[in-house]
Amino acid sequence: MLTYEPGDSVGHRVGARSKLLLQAAFAGAAFAHTDPVGLAALTGLALALLALAATPPRAVFAEYRGVLPFLAAAPAIESFRLGAPWVDPAAAVGPALAAYRTLLLLALVAAYVRTTPVRESEAAVARLVPGKPGRLLGLGVGLVFRLLPVLQADLARTREAMAVRLGDRRPLRERIRLVATAGLTRALSRTDRLAVALRARCLSWNPTPPEATFGRADALALLLAVALLAWAAWDVWPALGVGG
Amino acid sequence: MSTATEDVDLVGEEIAANIARAALFAALTGVFAYVSFQLPVTSVPFTLQVLGVFLAGVFLGPVWGVASMVLYVVAGAVGAPVFAYGSAGLGSLFGQWGGYLWSYPLAAGIVGIGVHGRGELADPGHVGLGRLVGAMAAATLVIYAFGTLGYAIVGDVSLVTALVAAALPFVPAEAIKAAATVAIVRSDAVTAR
Repeated sequence: MLTYEPGDSVGHRVGARSKLLLQAAFAGAAFAHTDPVGLAALTGLALALLALAATPPRAVFAEYRGVLPFLAAAPAIESFRLGAPWVDPAAAVGPALAAYRTLLLLALVAAYVRTTPVRESEAAVARLVPGKPGRLLGLGVGLVFRLLPVLQADLARTREAMAVRLGDRRPLRERIRLVATAGLTRALSRTDRLAVALRARCLSWNPTPPEATFGRADALALLLAVALLAWAAWDVWPALGVGG
Repeated sequence: MSTATEDVDLVGEEIAANIARAALFAALTGVFAYVSFQLPVTSVPFTLQVLGVFLAGVFLGPVWGVASMVLYVVAGAVGAPVFAYGSAGLGSLFGQWGGYLWSYPLAAGIVGIGVHGRGELADPGHVGLGRLVGAMAAATLVIYAFGTLGYAIVGDVSLVTALVAAALPFVPAEAIKAAATVAIVRSDAVTAR
């Protein structure tokens, strides 16, 4: 499972907000340059960023094993023709490039998750969205991160208990109902305790946030993001009829 | 070292309780994204995420149901592994299946309004079968419209291909999830608080 790995790589030192911005800029550039040359350049950049974040490409592939067949489905279906010669490879080029682009974006996600602690992601959300909505969003996101393993263990126990009692031979609808009911009752029983615990700890609108720093690595990440956005705009502007 | 002293502005009881429930349903949806079942005939693996969307709408109502799904999407965007098969991140929202994720808050809102109307929250156990099924059918339609369109645009394929690759194989599963939701709501095992 994709989780934070402690370390001291460059990727670990860059702030969460800079990394999120860099990801958005990378996505923008990838959408503006979905051609073999553009994607080749972005592949180089992605590999460099993975290396800086101490995330081997092998780990990325292992992480997304389940997703790869679905990515390959679109080009395969698009190249299929109802009639001779049955397969039209030219039609698969566009979808294949798009699928590859998705893979590049997912690789950066893996690097982000492996180098960013939950606390920082939470604070980044609260800082990006101002005021009370931002506080609620940050608080909620932090709770989701922390509740996820708890509920996952609940559900794993349920499925195990079902399997032991031969429940996995029941019809599909029945199995889904059992798993969902167990998950829901556990979640609801945790809700009340969580709400009491939040109030007992004086849940406030104005907590003390972790310190925000802006170092040299952040400046470089910011510069790279701006460069990527400029590169994306370079192609998109003339197409929109603005300038040029 | 200096210490800042400010007035503490406490969060009210009702909001604290609601944010706890919203976060729990968001996390539950995230956990459902890992649980994969296989359809008997086509053996397409599917996850239970949409069940989380239905349940959030039914049990939290339109306002906090939407809030819960927004939490789910934002938490996934900043790196909680809550999307299908444990993926996450900003890139997922702009990836091939991003359309599905964008639709969840809207779909939870539709289920919430369909089941509870605009006023006070009703007891889901006493809501008519027609309303429950109708609300979930409308939500499913919205989810698949967003999902298919997103898949076609981002994946650079025709709408037909998108339907074949990303929607049709999963529709039977949605019917099963809707049936499961009705069964859960009608059973005595779960009582909404």
